[in-house]
Amino acid sequence: MKRVLIVTFVLGLAAASLFAVDLKTSGWNTIVSTAKAEGQVIFYAWYFPDYFKEAAADFEKLYGIKAVVIIGDQTANFNKAIAEKNLATGTIDAMIVGGQWVKTTMDLDLFFGPIKGVLPEAHQMAPSLWELQEGVLTKGYLAPFHRNQTGILYDPNRVKNPPQTWEELVKWIDENPKEFGFCDPSKGGTGQSFVHTVIAKTTGGLERYKGDSDVVPSKVANWNLAWKWFTDRRDKLTITMSNNDSIIRLNGGEISMTVGWDDNVSDQMSKGNLFKRAKMYIPQMGLAGGGDTMGVLKNAPNKAAALLWIHFIQSKEQQLKKFQKVGAYPARIDLPLEGTLLSEQDRAKNAIAWFPAAYKNLMINEFVRNVLMK
Amino acid sequence: MRRDEFTITTLGTQTRKNLYILLAAFFILVQLVWVGLPILMTVLWSLVHPDYPWSYPQMFPEKLSFAQWRFVFRYTNIVRALKTSYSVAPLSVLLAFFLALPTAYALGRKKFAGKKLFMTLVLLPIIMPGMVVALFLSRVFTSFGLAQSFFGLVLAHTLMGLPYMIRVLTTSFEAIPQDVIDAAENLGATSFSKIKDIFLPMVRPGLLAGMVFAFTTSIEEFNLTFIIGTPTFETVPTILYSFLGYNFIRTNASVIALIMMVPNILMLFAVERILKSDYLSASLGKL
Repeated sequence: MKRVLIVTFVLGLAAASLFAVDLKTSGWNTIVSTAKAEGQVIFYAWYFPDYFKEAAADFEKLYGIKAVVIIGDQTANFNKAIAEKNLATGTIDAMIVGGQWVKTTMDLDLFFGPIKGVLPEAHQMAPSLWELQEGVLTKGYLAPFHRNQTGILYDPNRVKNPPQTWEELVKWIDENPKEFGFCDPSKGGTGQSFVHTVIAKTTGGLERYKGDSDVVPSKVANWNLAWKWFTDRRDKLTITMSNNDSIIRLNGGEISMTVGWDDNVSDQMSKGNLFKRAKMYIPQMGLAGGGDTMGVLKNAPNKAAALLWIHFIQSKEQQLKKFQKVGAYPARIDLPLEGTLLSEQDRAKNAIAWFPAAYKNLMINEFVRNVLMK
Repeated sequence: MRRDEFTITTLGTQTRKNLYILLAAFFILVQLVWVGLPILMTVLWSLVHPDYPWSYPQMFPEKLSFAQWRFVFRYTNIVRALKTSYSVAPLSVLLAFFLALPTAYALGRKKFAGKKLFMTLVLLPIIMPGMVVALFLSRVFTSFGLAQSFFGLVLAHTLMGLPYMIRVLTTSFEAIPQDVIDAAENLGATSFSKIKDIFLPMVRPGLLAGMVFAFTTSIEEFNLTFIIGTPTFETVPTILYSFLGYNFIRTNASVIALIMMVPNILMLFAVERILKSDYLSASLGKL
């Protein structure tokens, strides 16, 4: 009897190790067959319900795997993922990761990976977005979903010569009080991008922050100049509550110029929430860009299906379809596009990279302390 | 009556009448501005044609269409969410009623040490931020195997509606005059007949008010539902928050808001009618 039990135990262990596929080394064909055996993927996002609904149907048709897409709220999505972090098996397979939450989720070690070496078309995606998302090192754990860029968005009926340089922008703001709006940086990336540029222009550029993983106090000693720039113009600037609030106020005529994300602006325009005459550009003084990514949760119930879903979303067909449907700029670098809101020339010449995440966090906190609370 | 006295009386009546008209007009205006205008704006935003945005300096949308409604019904799980919301809400109200009844009776009719503290504790779930409650409760629900289950969802909504139900029912129990109970006891009323003929009829308005609170709390509950219910269950607020949260899209959010609002308004009207008939019964001495 004892011998039978031992043999059963050993055979059980062998079978378990045989079936526990290491997805990072098993090869793509094994991942596809494991995904088909899993039978479904659960994906959380907070935007583009129209695109994802059709993508889910396409995925099911192609692989016979059911894709359940939950369009929630950004904060709620991450709160749920964090609440389930310590469960052996969670309820989310994969999710969109935006700049607001990338540092928290990477610090919490929420994702399975690195997955860059697993996905067969990883090399076709923007290389920088595989490594860095809005100043945070992602080390190949988060797969590029789309690239986005902040730019100046304006009403051409009210702004005839939009400013290009820092001096021109300051002059325009001074001459048109309350007409320029930007989002509170603690509430949205467009505000962060604008404050980032203000810091660059008032305190001596961004070069000195390169490569830092922690804040070097001597490098931020003169940030008071940036806060002074804001407080001196308290009566001339409009601070909005979110990225979309900036667009709403522009559409409602309260402001005539703001900072927006290109994908967000396209989406709002296509849904009738912003006038079609709106124009957008990246000024010569530079504004930051980045992109959103997708991650597979460490405790995902269907990891292989999640990897296959991400591969599918990154495919040429889906990246193009996403661009055509919602105007989101592809994460792929092998797709020539026409009809983008921002010109390729602008992107190449004027888009700038974020400073490291530690500085970005400090920037948000210090803005609240030195500008909003004063 | 002298002629000048008659004139003064007539003038007084006329002035009072004008005052009433003025007050009524003011009331209607306030209602229109505070209630009517936001609803009108929501309806208009839900009808904005995607190719003709409603923007400055237009007073009204250039062209109306049902495209936003079609979008919501085509690209979101709103039908599934409506079914879940309107099956969870009545069950959670019923459960909240049965759980609240003995608690409210004890709080309203009995004297015991720590009563005030207990009444404050009962309100804690609605005082604390929704997401904080949701994060803590989700652990409990998961460890008891209640997450991702319909019963778990009903229980979660019951917990959120319970404070309202207990508070309103407690006040109703407190308001029952002791004389009525004493008189019934003197006439030999049993405990059952006291419950049937005194307590239940007299707490009925409070019960209906508590039900309205618990029902609307359930219909609007987002945080706990999202954490313990999705992806298996989606309710209307989980869809609403996708358009109302970080990625605020006013046109689509207006559609969902109207979908959520209409059944709630109908229910409020129904309850109002029942409450009015209760007052009538009370005035005729039928209670």
